[in-house]
Amino acid sequence: MNKVVTINLNGNACQLEEQGYDALRAYLDTAAARLESNPDKAEIMSDLEQAIAEKCRRHVGPHKNVVTAAEIQRIITEMGPVNGDEGDERTGPATERRSEGPSQRAGATRRLYQIREGAMISGVCNGLAAYFNIDVTLVRVAFVFLAIVTSGGWVLAYILMMFIVPEAYSSEERAAAHGQPFNAQQLVDRAKHHYAEFRESSNQWQEKWRRSREARRERRAARAMAVQPQPPQSQGTASYATRVFAGFMVPVFTLLSAILFVALIIALISLFKTGAVFHWSLPHDVPIWLAIIIFILVYQAISTPLRAASRASYEASAGSRYGWLAAADGLMWLAFAALLFWLAYLLIPEVRWLIHSTFEWKHLVWGWPS
Amino acid sequence: MAIDEKFNSIRKGLLEFLILRIIAADKVYVADMLERLSRTEFATQEGTLYPLLSKMRREDLLDYEWRESDAGPPRKYYKLTAKGRTQLAELNRYWKQINTTVDDLGQPT
Repeated sequence: MNKVVTINLNGNACQLEEQGYDALRAYLDTAAARLESNPDKAEIMSDLEQAIAEKCRRHVGPHKNVVTAAEIQRIITEMGPVNGDEGDERTGPATERRSEGPSQRAGATRRLYQIREGAMISGVCNGLAAYFNIDVTLVRVAFVFLAIVTSGGWVLAYILMMFIVPEAYSSEERAAAHGQPFNAQQLVDRAKHHYAEFRESSNQWQEKWRRSREARRERRAARAMAVQPQPPQSQGTASYATRVFAGFMVPVFTLLSAILFVALIIALISLFKTGAVFHWSLPHDVPIWLAIIIFILVYQAISTPLRAASRASYEASAGSRYGWLAAADGLMWLAFAALLFWLAYLLIPEVRWLIHSTFEWKHLVWGWPS
Repeated sequence: MAIDEKFNSIRKGLLEFLILRIIAADKVYVADMLERLSRTEFATQEGTLYPLLSKMRREDLLDYEWRESDAGPPRKYYKLTAKGRTQLAELNRYWKQINTTVDDLGQPT
């Protein structure tokens, strides 16, 4: 259900969905701004409004009298950007206009879009590739790599971009995604719109995040105060026992998280290579990318509480030396992961086969020297 | 780079010439022009066409008259002025000359 706005387009009444109205308003404002120094501005504007009204009329009928936001978007696309310079650089007024709007004429400014055509998931990578003018495969590889390195955290970034980055659903927008000129006004409008939409939720998050950070800092400061003046021996036996237990649990948690990570990597490689994970093959209707995302999400779901528990353990056992222990733990994690890979390679024949065939495959693709 | 991109500026520059040709052939309104151009390499949009037409009118190459239409409000039908016709003749000649040049340069000397 959407609010409907009635507007007057050059004497024609037209009912639009509110979002469509905003888009149309932005389009016409941009057009008016570009035609600012054109002596026929008023006439061109009414011609444009008339053309839009005629297009709107095509979208309404006896049983439908409101033009939807999507239809307005299509109409705007059909209309195309209004050329302030009249499509001709030689004319006099164009030179005046150049000084007034340098940002509009600065050349190939691009916009970031999601491009659905040829997309694997939502077209975020596709859009980024168009934006930076690089091969989409490279972007995808970078995304998968980042997703693994951040142990799935990057997947969240992707999902965020799916929501924030607008989708290029018209040829006009696709052109903009590849780097043809656009007007700054539209970008600002879109940004404002998104900003208003997300301000609410992000405020809440920021607040929550800030509060939890403050609480953590206070706790740490309080602990430092409590620990520093007294030598550790003077602490009670119960707290000593807790610390010993926590100290013991740190490597256990780290080991568990390394095992998980290695399992994830092997599962992903196996998924890529064979479409199955250790004799468990995917159901037919689940595409491989979905399986990969599910794997990463599951991994994230298990490893996040694990990491939180492990962090709690350091804090309990190390107190103010937390930072050093975290660094040592990072190294320990790496060592565990390497050890586990090596063990898996030695002990599990399937893994050995996978790794061998992966490298052979790479050899074929990249022409690596053997 | 796609082939059509190589001729981007040429297509843009030819638009005015083509509009003169279309209008010379028949009195038309904007939707007709867009329709005829849409089937060609010179497909364009209202956002480009209206400012261009208004510029050409300012240069006294064309003019329009209002005509009633059966579907909605009256429409602007464009026609060439005397100056527009002269200019079109010159442009036609020049365009032929360019074509000859292009052909000649492709021939062995």
